[in-house]
Amino acid sequence: MHFLYLDPSSGSILLQLLIAAAAGIGIAVASSWQKIKKLFKKTGKDKIKSSEDEDDEA
Amino acid sequence: MTKRNLTASFRDPSGFLFHKDGELYRQVNQNYASEFDLLLSSGLYKKLTEQGRLIPHTEVSLAGIQGAYKVLHPQKVPFISYPYEWSFQQLKDAALATLAIQKRALNHGMSLKDASAYNIQFMNGKAILIDTLSFEIYQDGEPWVAYRQFCQHFLAPLALMAKRDIRLAQLLRIYIDGIPLDLASRLLPAGSWFNLNLLSHIHLHARAQKRYADVSLEQERHGRKVSKQAFLALVESLKKTIQQLQWIPSGTEWGDYYDQTNYSSKAFNWKKNLVKAWAEQVDPSLTWDIGANTGVFSREVNLPGGYVIAWDIDPAAVEKNWETVRTNKETNLLPLVLDLANPSPALGWNCQERDSFKERGPANLVLALGLVHHLAISNNLPLDRIASDMAGWGKWLIVEFIPKSDSQVQKLLRSRKDIFNSYDQVGFESAFKQYYKIHQAQPLPESERWMYFMETK
Repeated sequence: MHFLYLDPSSGSILLQLLIAAAAGIGIAVASSWQKIKKLFKKTGKDKIKSSEDEDDEA
Repeated sequence: MTKRNLTASFRDPSGFLFHKDGELYRQVNQNYASEFDLLLSSGLYKKLTEQGRLIPHTEVSLAGIQGAYKVLHPQKVPFISYPYEWSFQQLKDAALATLAIQKRALNHGMSLKDASAYNIQFMNGKAILIDTLSFEIYQDGEPWVAYRQFCQHFLAPLALMAKRDIRLAQLLRIYIDGIPLDLASRLLPAGSWFNLNLLSHIHLHARAQKRYADVSLEQERHGRKVSKQAFLALVESLKKTIQQLQWIPSGTEWGDYYDQTNYSSKAFNWKKNLVKAWAEQVDPSLTWDIGANTGVFSREVNLPGGYVIAWDIDPAAVEKNWETVRTNKETNLLPLVLDLANPSPALGWNCQERDSFKERGPANLVLALGLVHHLAISNNLPLDRIASDMAGWGKWLIVEFIPKSDSQVQKLLRSRKDIFNSYDQVGFESAFKQYYKIHQAQPLPESERWMYFMETK
């Protein structure tokens, strides 16, 4: 860690701990919800794109 | 023989850039050895360079280098540009590239230790990371140290450009480490408080910075961790926030220019062919098209093996030009925002971190079409001043002279006194002849304009 020359700012770190936890819960909930929805869908129907390969980004 | 460290490359103890014998190198210091090895052994370097996301390099051995673990010879970026010269979509592309790289890095056990917009350059029509030493070994449980910098360099300016005013991009010239979040928070409209993403990453972020400014992190942290899943969720959240920001390029002065000019299409095509023929005589490796608008003439001089910078004052025109570059996957045209009356200055410590507009020249060929009358009349620049300074930008010049009788110049004179006594063709030629040799002069059909092909003396 000794060449992390950047000042990350304490507030940014603390906020991150908060947001990351919340976002992590959000994603966990969303992916569980997707799994539940899958059980009720016929196979072959369009699924919502999950984390796509970032190659097609800008 | 002399080695000269780059004046901008000093913050990161992992290594630095230097010039030697006219080539650019990056020294990797001993303290970065494990990181550098992991970058290669994990496959991250290979993956990112294959995707065109990281600048490729070769390892070299140079005589007389002290303390280096490795010396890298990176591939050359054809032209260096800065975030305050980028259009909205260009900054957005740079932001999304940074996040894509971070996501990829995490999957290879690494993480970006900084997220500066100056680590990104444009090459082959794509945003690319040029700082090979930006990667640290990912420690599970540790948060992203670059989160603040990402929000200041990318998210804040993009949000301000999209939601307040496109011209706020210029704040990046003043704040060289990105826009302070408290300032961004104050400038954003009230509606942004109802956007959960902007609320978190800008408004609450600004308040958290202030609240915890003098606080010991270890005490407040209470040993809490950020899991890898949460980390990826944060990156994903930032990605969605950026993707949601939109700006429609119109309503600025020059965005709809070509719909409103008084060119006949015959004259227009004649002009295009002439510009192309003259450029072919020069076969320039670097061209500056100044006042390029959406790049119609830039694409006439866009010869194989060359690189064209399409400068324009209007962010909407630059944005439209960039959209064309991306759609057509053009690789040697870079549109950039430039106010010629007040171009990018040298910035940073001792004015030596970011090069001025002029310092990044000269070009081989300069196009100054539909330009000089603006400089002479709207900007009150004497013609010989225009000529002498332009001569410093490039060896060859294709320039258009538009006389007072033309309706475009009439428009400029409409609301002011005509004090421009020497603004005529004779005055134009005598001004430019002081600094240039005029190779050819041709009148533009169905108009009173003239096209000139010149070379500096």
